[in-house]
Amino acid sequence: MISKTIEKLLSKVQKPGRYVGGELNSVIKSKEDVEIRFAFCFPDIYEVGMSHLGMKILYSQLNTVPYIWCERVFAPWADMEEQMRRCQVPLYALESGDSLADFDIIGFTLQYELSYTNILNMLDLAGVPLKACDRHSLSRLVVAGGPCACNPEPLADFFDLFFIGEGEEVDLEVLALYREFKKKGGTKQNFLQAAAQIPGVYVPSLYTVEYREDGTIREMRPQCGAPKTVKKRLMPDLDKSYFPDRFVVPAIEIVHDRAVAEVLRGCIRGCRFCQAGFLYRPFREKSVDVINKQCFDLCENTGYDEISLSSLSTSDYSDIYGLLDKLHTWTPEQKIGVSLPSLRVDNFSTELMSKIKSVRRSGLTFAPEAGTQRLRDVINKNVTEEELLKTVNTAFAGGWTTIKLYFMIGLPTETMEDVEGIANLGQAVVDAFYSNPDKPKGRSVKVSVSTASFVPKPFTPFQWEPQDTMEMLREKQRHLVRTVKTRKIELSWHDAETSFLEAVFARGDRRLGAVLLKAWENGCKMDGWKDFFSLSKWLEQFRACGIDPEFYANRRRSPDEVLPWDHLDYGVTKSFLIEEWKRARENRTTPNCREKCSACGAACFKGGICVENR
Amino acid sequence: MKTVRVWFRKTGTARFISHLDLNRCMARAIHKAKIPLWYTEGFNPHAFLTFALPLSLGISGERESMDMKLEDNALSDAELMERMNAGLPPDIRVYAVTEPVMKPGQITAASYRISLEVENMDAEQAAGRIAELFRSETLVVSKHTKSGWSDFDLAPYLGNIEVSAAKTTVEISSVLPAGSSLNINPTLLTDAVGKYLHLEFYAKIRRTCLYGESQKIFE
Repeated sequence: MISKTIEKLLSKVQKPGRYVGGELNSVIKSKEDVEIRFAFCFPDIYEVGMSHLGMKILYSQLNTVPYIWCERVFAPWADMEEQMRRCQVPLYALESGDSLADFDIIGFTLQYELSYTNILNMLDLAGVPLKACDRHSLSRLVVAGGPCACNPEPLADFFDLFFIGEGEEVDLEVLALYREFKKKGGTKQNFLQAAAQIPGVYVPSLYTVEYREDGTIREMRPQCGAPKTVKKRLMPDLDKSYFPDRFVVPAIEIVHDRAVAEVLRGCIRGCRFCQAGFLYRPFREKSVDVINKQCFDLCENTGYDEISLSSLSTSDYSDIYGLLDKLHTWTPEQKIGVSLPSLRVDNFSTELMSKIKSVRRSGLTFAPEAGTQRLRDVINKNVTEEELLKTVNTAFAGGWTTIKLYFMIGLPTETMEDVEGIANLGQAVVDAFYSNPDKPKGRSVKVSVSTASFVPKPFTPFQWEPQDTMEMLREKQRHLVRTVKTRKIELSWHDAETSFLEAVFARGDRRLGAVLLKAWENGCKMDGWKDFFSLSKWLEQFRACGIDPEFYANRRRSPDEVLPWDHLDYGVTKSFLIEEWKRARENRTTPNCREKCSACGAACFKGGICVENR
Repeated sequence: MKTVRVWFRKTGTARFISHLDLNRCMARAIHKAKIPLWYTEGFNPHAFLTFALPLSLGISGERESMDMKLEDNALSDAELMERMNAGLPPDIRVYAVTEPVMKPGQITAASYRISLEVENMDAEQAAGRIAELFRSETLVVSKHTKSGWSDFDLAPYLGNIEVSAAKTTVEISSVLPAGSSLNINPTLLTDAVGKYLHLEFYAKIRRTCLYGESQKIFE
């Protein structure tokens, strides 16, 4: 329950519904009845954070434990922050309205690099000391997990502990240990040393870093018995893995306002630019019956009339037709629509199309990622132009007239010819529409071509590659604009500046902590939002700290360099990534996990496709 | 097909749900409750949900209503209520289901209770000043209309206003024109208090009832 002090602020802000809680299915416990209060913090606004599936899973799971009360905390928008600071209202959790500072554990999910300043801002809004070394007691332990925890080094100064890999088990193990320490009045230091022994737990303060003269890392040395490498945690059997039967249902509209079923984790494809494709290996599927039951329960308990079948590549689900058929035994009658957020160019069929369309039509988006076959081979996106054209023809014949195509610019080895290929591919789709005899009559075609800038990420074969400079990216964007000859193609692109900062932090090391702190002190926040992001302000902070951002974004690493994340182990071996990097430069593709095992190393988890294939 | 009028309270945190979001909340609760709604038979079937009178963001409603069309042989009123409440946020509660008597278009007035927590004056004194203000011959405030901001004289509409002091608050109760022809938002009253008396306060506003012609309670 929010206090009267908070209520008074709400008349002065936009969308007050973000700040009040009280939603259907939110979990209210009595603080006297629990032993651990856990604040699940999403470092962005409510509408974004509430759309995130990982938070829904862990929120519900933690709350199944009687001695834990997990609550939600989001970053306030600037207007609310101003009111809170003016009236000295600390950042609070939506369930109890209590200050973040009253919690035992403050947990952040790290979804994207540009949310890092928000983390500092949220801690500060509750008066929690930002640096881990300035927080001395066991309470207000600041922890994090999520994809960006695969290189948590830029955040090492601020966090006590990181969860590496999937959280469902390790979170509970750490909380059980915390409970013991809290009961017996243990110290934070002793707790952290004990926690570091739990697989999947990385305690940054237990590692010292030495640098070489050229600025690269000489060594990461573990202290106090911490493991040399921390191996990610993984749920080998998704059918047995916890999944909530209800979501908190927001009363205000959020970004993804629907029921979400997770059909699989990982991806068979191995696109070389895609961090998620490597981080979440091995590929594991839930069974049709489990997914069907989870969808049914979610709809029963929320009232949503749309289910999204979510994963990195849902059309790769091995029994996608069986699943859709099963869902169709009850969804049409209940007026529930089923949508697939990600479709692949090479396995989209009339049958699949008819099954998604039967209730409600969703947009069609495909991601060829690169404009020419050569470059698609470099990135191992095993999709051909013929397949794309066949797919869009199927879609046109089925009545669709709007196609979205996603591309990246700045990929390794890219030339201007490859950039032109993006426009040409868009043009080929437009041409396919007009030469299709079954196209919808009397309607025009629209092809939205949207391009993101490539950001090299840890644990991918391109982790050693330089990012194109912002000037190069802009030149390529201009060249693309010049090449597009028709108004049927609508072009859009991400600006190069945010991609540059993302690249710096994605592969950054501990020295960036100082820059982050300074940037926050000088007003940087909500960097993922156009209204706030200012690269010039960031560059000032880099200068002030004597740190060259290009060292992180635009430098080619040598394969024997110690990388800031080398002490973390996601299963995929470095030698495999080096081999993939080599094949990329030779324009050679690698078969997907279903066709042939390429021995990436993820088989060590003994789960999913690695086991099924043997 | 029959039309029912669902009566609900929208209080507490729910007063920060906008009208558009309330619409979606209700639609979701109805869907969750598996209430056999009657859908239009056109190309794009949809249900009818008609709210008597939208409530401004931040104002609680104690006697709000929504009409919906149900298939025949629908469930009992008690069951409908129970199932709806199971799908709504705790601060939106359905408390009655009736057959509609008046049409929402017949609404001409609404009653409000405003509770002012005045910060820079004690309640007794503030109540006196506010009562006096509301007796002014003219009381001009800025009103937002389709063509922008314009001056609006509240005085003709304050004949029935009551102002009293409670322990720490000033309580104002008022019936104001409401509906499609003239709608006066109660925040105009608090605007006037702020503008002319320079008081600093926190206002909690509740809409307590809706009325048709000649003060007939909306049913």
